[in-house]
Amino acid sequence: MSADTDLISRAAGGDASAFQALVERHRTMVYRVAYQFAGNHHDAEDIAQEVFIKVYRSLDQFRQDAQLTSWMYRIVMNACIDHRRRSRPGTNAAAGDEAEYRMLNAPEETPGPEDQAYAGELGEVLQLEIGRLPKGQRIVFVMRHYQGMKLCEIAEALGLAEGTVKRQLHAAVHRLREALSQVRVTAGGRA
Amino acid sequence: MTCERHMSGDLDLYFYDELPADEREELGRHLPGCDDCRAALDELHAIRAALALRPDVAAPASGDWSQFMSRLDSAVGRERSTSPRVLSLVAQPRGRYAEYLAIAALLALVTFSVTLAFRARHVPSAPRAAGSVQHSVPATTKDNSAFAAMTEEHFERSKLVVLGLATKDAAHETPADWEYERELATSLLDDTRLYRLAAEDRGLDALAGVMKDLELVLLQTSLTDAKDPSALPQLQRLIKRRDLIEKMDVVTTTGL
Repeated sequence: MSADTDLISRAAGGDASAFQALVERHRTMVYRVAYQFAGNHHDAEDIAQEVFIKVYRSLDQFRQDAQLTSWMYRIVMNACIDHRRRSRPGTNAAAGDEAEYRMLNAPEETPGPEDQAYAGELGEVLQLEIGRLPKGQRIVFVMRHYQGMKLCEIAEALGLAEGTVKRQLHAAVHRLREALSQVRVTAGGRA
Repeated sequence: MTCERHMSGDLDLYFYDELPADEREELGRHLPGCDDCRAALDELHAIRAALALRPDVAAPASGDWSQFMSRLDSAVGRERSTSPRVLSLVAQPRGRYAEYLAIAALLALVTFSVTLAFRARHVPSAPRAAGSVQHSVPATTKDNSAFAAMTEEHFERSKLVVLGLATKDAAHETPADWEYERELATSLLDDTRLYRLAAEDRGLDALAGVMKDLELVLLQTSLTDAKDPSALPQLQRLIKRRDLIEKMDVVTTTGL
């Protein structure tokens, strides 16, 4: 029995410390996905809370022979789709603390300063555009691009046809490429 | 960008290394002679590079988990003490299964009769999608907690179908995709009717209203002709007009 399944088994039996240990083992992964999906800490924190509450509710439904990460991903994806923004709808702007975080963590080496500024701007624009994607497209893009999940795994987790997931990824990528083109036109115009 | 390989989404799969080996090889041979695909591939690489420079955020803004854990602890405590529905899911797993099975067995006849009655009214039927499960709604019991749990699960499955429809791109639909969506919608239709009837029976008017809207969307989907180019936009307008996704969100977020 793996450490995770042991924790789940004990947590399902009412052991609060086992549930806490389970949360501590997976909260980083959950928060990362939630943040990539939501683009801000307020919503990411809400989503992560929702995920672990759902995990708590579903402890007894976890099959011992199943992959915990798959099960958890499934819950995370559904929580992202279910989540209703706490703040203004349609926005994904980084908060001040995140801007500061970005500034403090800006890469210091290659690419060169100009390219870096351009790539930084581009990354910000793309991040905003990801936040504007419809939820279905957004979660598919996040899970494929950031988490490296296969389309068939995403399809299974979301209960959708693989063709649907493929089209959602294509639509998401198409929008991001359009955003990229706009930035390039603007950057070209400035040069 | 007009190359079919690019428009079909194959290039995305190539980029994410999801194409089967033979197709990957073939697309690899196609690339040197196709400006469209090469440009699109360059853009995908640029997107990856730009996003890779974004900070990896994997913890609350303060970097301190204590508030998060404290909030979660309170939420779990509330779940444990105040929600009978959750208690039924968490605290009484195995014993309640037998009870639910007994309810299901008792109600199998009711379910069967209602389904037959609907089919007798010429409601179209189609083969069930693989993996679909039909539930027996606990129509004769007033066990609202069991009903709530089953309704929530039904909404989870249905909402993904509705979301899929709402975000589909009509330009890239294939008959096979439509056939799958139709089968899925049809497989959910009967359950939706039963849940709607059960909700009406329990006086849960708001829930019954959402079920009715969902039922309409699923019915229209199940009847849609794949060759009709206006079908998907019509469905999408219907979903939007009924504000269905938002309504389903509200039900699953706030409970019954």
